[in-house]
Order: sequence, then structure tokens, then C-alpha cells
Amino acid sequence: MSALHTPLFALLLTLASYRGAWWLYDKSGRQPLLHPFLVAMIPVIAVLLWLGIPYREYLAGTAVLQFFLGPATVALAWPLYRQLSTLRSIWLQVLVAIAIGAPLAAGLAIGLAALYGAPLDVIGSLAPKSITTPIALEVSRFTGGHAALAAGAVAITGIVGVLAAPLVFRLLRVTDDRIRGIALGLVAHAIGTARAFEYSERAGAYSSLALGLTGLLTALALPWLWPWIAGWL
Amino acid sequence: MLDGLLILLAFQFTGELLVRLLDLPLPGAVVGMVLLLLALITRAAVLQRVAPAANLLIGNLTLLFFPIGIGIVLEWDRYSEHGTALLVSIVVGTLLALILVTALLKLLIRSDS
Repeated sequence: MSALHTPLFALLLTLASYRGAWWLYDKSGRQPLLHPFLVAMIPVIAVLLWLGIPYREYLAGTAVLQFFLGPATVALAWPLYRQLSTLRSIWLQVLVAIAIGAPLAAGLAIGLAALYGAPLDVIGSLAPKSITTPIALEVSRFTGGHAALAAGAVAITGIVGVLAAPLVFRLLRVTDDRIRGIALGLVAHAIGTARAFEYSERAGAYSSLALGLTGLLTALALPWLWPWIAGWL
Repeated sequence: MLDGLLILLAFQFTGELLVRLLDLPLPGAVVGMVLLLLALITRAAVLQRVAPAANLLIGNLTLLFFPIGIGIVLEWDRYSEHGTALLVSIVVGTLLALILVTALLKLLIRSDS
């Protein structure tokens, strides 16, 4: 059936699966393991395999969604702007935390992947894993990464971060919502920020700010530094 | 919505132009984001109209990268030989980053302020 090999069908399949996955996620009280990214995968992959639609054809059919990753990156200026006023009281601490934390998160991803013998293209895909996907995908082009690996790594990083956060906060006796928010936004990008809003509005605001600043700093620094890092690896 | 989309596309395009003209090793969309942020800070009221489109796109980021992201599963045979490195880097790397960043924040931010 040729109607199945069209962008229309690819988009319909994607939107229906995504919608269903959100329904389940909301029903479950937003369990991290039922994140829409993981759940929507199941019907989409099953249908693609069942109908014998090649992944590359599906990817081309959904190109309109990928197009909007660019405007979505620009759009991050909006929440960043809205949160700038919350920065006023502790701006220096936040900037220091991000100036240390963002290279730390990227460095751990790079170092651990290199330690386990990953080649440069795989390491380049993992380096931007703590930043929000639209920016991470842009950065991964400069680090010679694979888009699929970069996007997958970002999503799983967010889910791991959200799963681990309550335990880490309890172990380190964190009760300050500013700390919870910044940590979640810095390490677990938009998925972490969604979790931060469940702690409080304040945690969510700080998380949005950390997400934006971490993405910005990584995007500005990593493409310049990458040739040097790659040479050193 | 239309105004917002227009603003986003215009800033992205300006970012792409700058990156090409100045031969910067930066993503054009990120430059566009910085330009929009600077423009918003200068209180250009008309730019507030970016909100509906911006919120829609940011609220559905998962949908936008979903087709690319599932490539990690559908093209797993391309990456499977590096499975351990991927797993350690993503899971252990994220855990360590979260612990260290949280500890750092505790040092930097005192709860009394």
C-alpha cells in the first residue's frame, strides 16, 4: 500500500504514538520510566518493522518535525529571558556552578566513553548529552557525532538524571529548591526541568535558567574546544 | 502564534547568516538564540509576541527529536559494539555529574540566603 509510504503516514504514526504515550505518562503520575520518549518508541518501532518501512524513509517522512528543532533552539531565549530576574540574588553562584558543572558533565561523558574504548564519532555524540536536544544536535555536528546517538543519549541522560535525583538529594541532604532546580536543569536538561517543576515553581524557574545557560555555554565552548579535545584523545 | 514563528525564523536566519559571514564554528540557531535574548533584554516589546510559538515548541521538544532519537534503537547494529562505553558514559556519567554538581551547589549556595 503506497499510502503507508508517505510523510502523512509517518507523521500520523508519530503524533498518535506520542499522544498515547503522553496519556499514559500523565495517568501514571509521570513516572520517569514511562517517559513519552520511551513509551512512544514501542508502537512506532513495531509498526515500522511490521510494515517493512525502512528507518531512513521514516526519518525523511518526519523531516518537518526536525526542521522545527532550529526555531525551538532560538525559542529557548524566551524562558531564559523570563528567568533572568530570578538570577539577580545569586547570579555569581549560578554562573560559577554552570561554568564548572557544564564542562564537568561533558568531561565525564567524554572521559568515560574514551576509557571504555569508544571511537571518536561515538564520543562526539555523547559530549553534548547533558544539554537540551535541539542544541545538542547542533553541537554534535561540530563534534563529528551521529544525530541518532546524540539524541538518544540526551533523552536517556534526562531519564537517568530524573530517576536518580530524589536519592542523590536525600543522600546529600538537599532541601533547597534552588539547588534541586539548578542541578536538574544542568545535568538533565528539559526532562530534569519538568521534574523540577514538581518540586516547586521556584525549583522549576532555577532549572529553566540552568538548562538555558548550560546549553548556551556548551554550544559556545564545545565547537571551539573540540579539535583540541579530539587531538588529545 | 504567527508573529512568534516569524520572530523565531527571522532570528534563526540572522544567526545562520552571521555564522556563515564570519565563518564562526557555532550553530546558527544558538547564535539566533543569543541575539533574541539580547533583543528581549533591550525591552523590545514587540518581541514578547514570541511567547505562544516559543512555549509550543519548547513544550513539545520530545516530539521534535523523537524520529531522530529512535534511530538509537532502529540502527542499534551500527552502535552495538560500543554498547558498554555508551551505557557507562550515559548512566554512570550522568550519576556522577548529578552527585558532583549537587555537592558543588551545596558549597556555593547557603540555604539561609
